[in-house]
Amino acid sequence: MKEQRIGWGQRLDKIMTPMFIAGVLFCVVAFVLSFTLAPLVLGAQVDTPALIGGQMVTNKLLLSQKIFYFHMPVAVVSMASLLFTAVYGALFLRSRKRKHDIRAKVATEIALVFVLMTMVSGELWERFEWGVWWTWEPRLTTYFILMLLVIGYFILRNAVGDPERRATYAAVFGIIAFIDVPICFLITRLVPSGVHPVVFRTDSGLAPNMLVPLLIAMLGFCCIAFALYRYRLRTELLLARTEEIKEQLELEGA
Amino acid sequence: MDPILAEIYSTVFQAAPYVIGAYVLMWLVLAVFVVISVNGLKRTEKQLAALEEAVNELAGKQQ
Amino acid sequence: MSGSKGVSAFKHYRILLAKDLRQEFRSKEMLSSMGIYSILVLIVFGATLAQTSAKVDIVQMSSGLIWALLIFTSLLGLNRSFAHEKEDAALEGLLLVPMDRSVIYLAKATANLLFLVVVELIVAPLFYVFFLSGSELSITLPLVVWPLLAGTAGIAGIGTLLATIAINTRGRDVLLALLFIPLAFPLLYACVSATTVAVVGGAAIDFAYVPALALAMGYDIVMLLVSWLLYDYVVSA
Repeated sequence: MKEQRIGWGQRLDKIMTPMFIAGVLFCVVAFVLSFTLAPLVLGAQVDTPALIGGQMVTNKLLLSQKIFYFHMPVAVVSMASLLFTAVYGALFLRSRKRKHDIRAKVATEIALVFVLMTMVSGELWERFEWGVWWTWEPRLTTYFILMLLVIGYFILRNAVGDPERRATYAAVFGIIAFIDVPICFLITRLVPSGVHPVVFRTDSGLAPNMLVPLLIAMLGFCCIAFALYRYRLRTELLLARTEEIKEQLELEGA
Repeated sequence: MDPILAEIYSTVFQAAPYVIGAYVLMWLVLAVFVVISVNGLKRTEKQLAALEEAVNELAGKQQ
Repeated sequence: MSGSKGVSAFKHYRILLAKDLRQEFRSKEMLSSMGIYSILVLIVFGATLAQTSAKVDIVQMSSGLIWALLIFTSLLGLNRSFAHEKEDAALEGLLLVPMDRSVIYLAKATANLLFLVVVELIVAPLFYVFFLSGSELSITLPLVVWPLLAGTAGIAGIGTLLATIAINTRGRDVLLALLFIPLAFPLLYACVSATTVAVVGGAAIDFAYVPALALAMGYDIVMLLVSWLLYDYVVSA
């Protein structure tokens, strides 16, 4: 029986679990830092300033912005995963090798998980900041569309019987979906409304103190995403292997 | 509490459940996915081991 | 057809397009079904909006309503545009001809575009009669032509590719809608904005119309290019 494992694959699989744990640790560190190191963000102005910790504070201090430290890394990771989907899709279209299709599918699963995490955190942030459950603002809308596209990807995969066709359709759709997301963001951001003015969120600039927990969280989630990708990939490759063996057993007349 | 300070921190208390909720839900989604994928991996590995045994038996019988 | 090797891509395109148009001209199947469907949707709009108070500005909503109507109608049309190809296995026959397969895409997309434009020409006056005859329309109304065209081109472009995919799957119509609507969302957004501005008029024309239209056209160019490049893979699957 052929040993299909490539050296790279085995090496990467060995660091799967340590990567995951490292990722979680990074995220915990980021979590603590985001509350201790990063200052609270300024909200609406207060009438009379007060002295807090030796500094004059003239605005309300917002806690809800803390969600941002996890919300943004997760969003970035989901987009990065979708990039992998598109790339593997393109590779599949070129090479017609099944391994590319498998990787595209796993990357999309990771993208789905992280999109859900983005939507959840964004939704709660939205609810608190603006007091409504939904607005048609650029980021929320783009992420909602992204979520629909990723779900559509899986439904498409399920709806096609022939494996080669399924992989082709999924690859094409993955590429188009990946191109559509930045377009969606640009358009919802840039289209001026002739009728009502769009309320743009006034995000404060990033103080260096804020950058640290953000980057650590980003690193942590990248590690987690990578580890999960390898887990799922290993599962899928093993499944493919079991299929092969089952076929072989049938052929040899078990 | 000093009324000005109270006003400055006024949103913090209301925000706390949302912040906690956001973190908890996020990690919950991740945890569910981790559990599903690890279980899937274990199940597939078991299946593969069982199948390989069967193949080896067959190969042994044939020889 | 003699010497098909020497036939240029453009000639293939013309022949395919003529075939589709001729077929439609004879049977009028797609146009009639799309036309009837859009009129029915208008009637539904009438019923659903009948209770709104006079304070609601129907002029502002009108472009949104028209675009919703167009999206639903185009989903119907796109589904059907490949229906008889699939039934008669005509697509396989077409694939036997040695030609650039993206030409099939262009021909189909153009045909769909033309059908949609015809439907729009029927529906727009009807919409006016049903909903806007009591309201004052701005003088910039003719400017709606450009967003309508840009949007319809985008719908036909991306829709033709998706219809080719969806026709070979289980749950064809629903899958087409599921794939199409998120992808078309940005286009829809830009076009509704531009159309609203054109219908409502006023000072907004200066700063809102051209950017929205430009973004819609940008979408068209990108998506049509991508679809054109990827179509070969899709139709050969």
